[in-house]
Amino acid sequence: MSTALPSLTSIRKNLRLYAKLQLVQIRAAIEYCGDFWIGILGAMLQQGAGLVFVTALFSQIPEVAGWTVWNIAILYGLTMLPKGLTELFCDGSWTLRGKVNSGEFDRVLVRPISPALQSATAIVSIHGLGQSILGIVVLWLGMARSDIQLHWWTVPYLVLIVLTSASMIGALNFVINMTGFWEPSAQSALPTMLALVIDFAKFPLDIYNAAIRTFVTIILPYAFISYFPALLLLDRDTAWKWLGLATPLVTLVVILFTSWLWNKGLRRYQGVGH
Amino acid sequence: MDDTIRLRPIPKYVSIIQTAFQQAIAYRVTTLFNIALTFIWVFILYYLWMAAFSGRDIIGGFTWDQMRTYVVLAYAINALVGWRVGSQMMGTIRTGEILRDLVRPLNYCGSQLSMAAGFSIVEGIISLIITIAIGLVVLDLQPPDSAGAAALFTVSLLIGFVTKALIVFTVSLLTFWTLNGVGLMWAQQAIIAVLSGTLVPIALMPEWLRILAEVLPMRGIVSTPLMLYLGKASGLDALGLLALQAAWATGLWFFANWARQRAFNAVEIQGG
Repeated sequence: MSTALPSLTSIRKNLRLYAKLQLVQIRAAIEYCGDFWIGILGAMLQQGAGLVFVTALFSQIPEVAGWTVWNIAILYGLTMLPKGLTELFCDGSWTLRGKVNSGEFDRVLVRPISPALQSATAIVSIHGLGQSILGIVVLWLGMARSDIQLHWWTVPYLVLIVLTSASMIGALNFVINMTGFWEPSAQSALPTMLALVIDFAKFPLDIYNAAIRTFVTIILPYAFISYFPALLLLDRDTAWKWLGLATPLVTLVVILFTSWLWNKGLRRYQGVGH
Repeated sequence: MDDTIRLRPIPKYVSIIQTAFQQAIAYRVTTLFNIALTFIWVFILYYLWMAAFSGRDIIGGFTWDQMRTYVVLAYAINALVGWRVGSQMMGTIRTGEILRDLVRPLNYCGSQLSMAAGFSIVEGIISLIITIAIGLVVLDLQPPDSAGAAALFTVSLLIGFVTKALIVFTVSLLTFWTLNGVGLMWAQQAIIAVLSGTLVPIALMPEWLRILAEVLPMRGIVSTPLMLYLGKASGLDALGLLALQAAWATGLWFFANWARQRAFNAVEIQGG
């Protein structure tokens, strides 16, 4: 492994390749028009179901643990929007297990493009569009009705948080799917289960017990995509809100860890003996 | 044919149940993760309601004891017919494997239902054990309201199983027209989670949704059994609920068979 930093030309080349590969996948995804709409509808209904629950809960009581329904909407939006972006732009890691199991990963390794880039662009989950749009709407409503003091930094901060959160989710998806390198069974519900942990971030951390709180702060740090930034936006009277500034840093750590693990995984991969 | 010489074959639908049962047992780890998967939302709902009940005794007619029991059991019951049953049903159509089912002298709908039963026996038993273990040790669940409530609950649970299996079966027929099985499963899962009362008890829903949920068959999957369990409906009310549930299940059986016939007539098998 060379330890030199990638040159500017190689970054440019990879970005161009990424755009091209991604475009191919998008074309493939919208080829089947009916499937495309069913996917979007299904994804929106899934998110909508959670919202029905929230509406019902808050029609009975005004607030939970000091959070109103519109405060919760901010958490929901901050979770759905980056999750949707990840599905649109970096969802290929979900094909990893299948490829490692069947040995098709051999083909990825012999191509003159970085295996990570190929894996990231292996599929486009176009239904991420539905989730992103819903996320923007819910976030907007939550912000508008939560009495948030708008500062000059609010919008740039939101953009930064959403973009870094999307990168973090993308990297974590790689990590949970890389379990396939160590335990290459054809199918496993483990990645799905770990990915679902993000749903904890749709509600304030205050309500959970210490184990869950620790898990979503340190092990799968989804709390940094919604809870801590929301504390900062709502200007809550707690020192925890300053962790809302740490999201980019946490993302960086997650990405570095992911690339370290990725290299270990690649070295471990043995093919299936063709 | 002399019955005393030949070994009597297992009744045909029972043998399908047995095969699915063995399949589910073979993939123990997957089964376990599938159950753990549904528990993430149990935790979320449990802690949210706990926070909501701090400082209140009753919300929408439910005490905290009842709500806790409702949330945990609702998920366990809804998981009886899980993701795997649906994807299996869709898979047979998508891969063309359905041909094999069609040449058998069996009712296709019936054989798919038997398959679902086989899976559910395994997943149901495991998830029941886990639910009871967690429920007793950590969550302090309530026992059924009375012995009568327990009996009614059991009957209702069985009808609810058939109801969900039939709905999943009918939706799986749509795979004849679309390749996006996952999208269908999501949509179906979300609609059932809401209208069956899994996510939130029907009594707490907004007016328009409550009326819709009370009329539709999905309430029979989770809400009806649990209302009986908690003793929220008894006597004539309980019988009425059961009758409605049974009527819907029967109606769905005929609808599913009719829809299957239409689907078979309308579409050619892929690659067949």
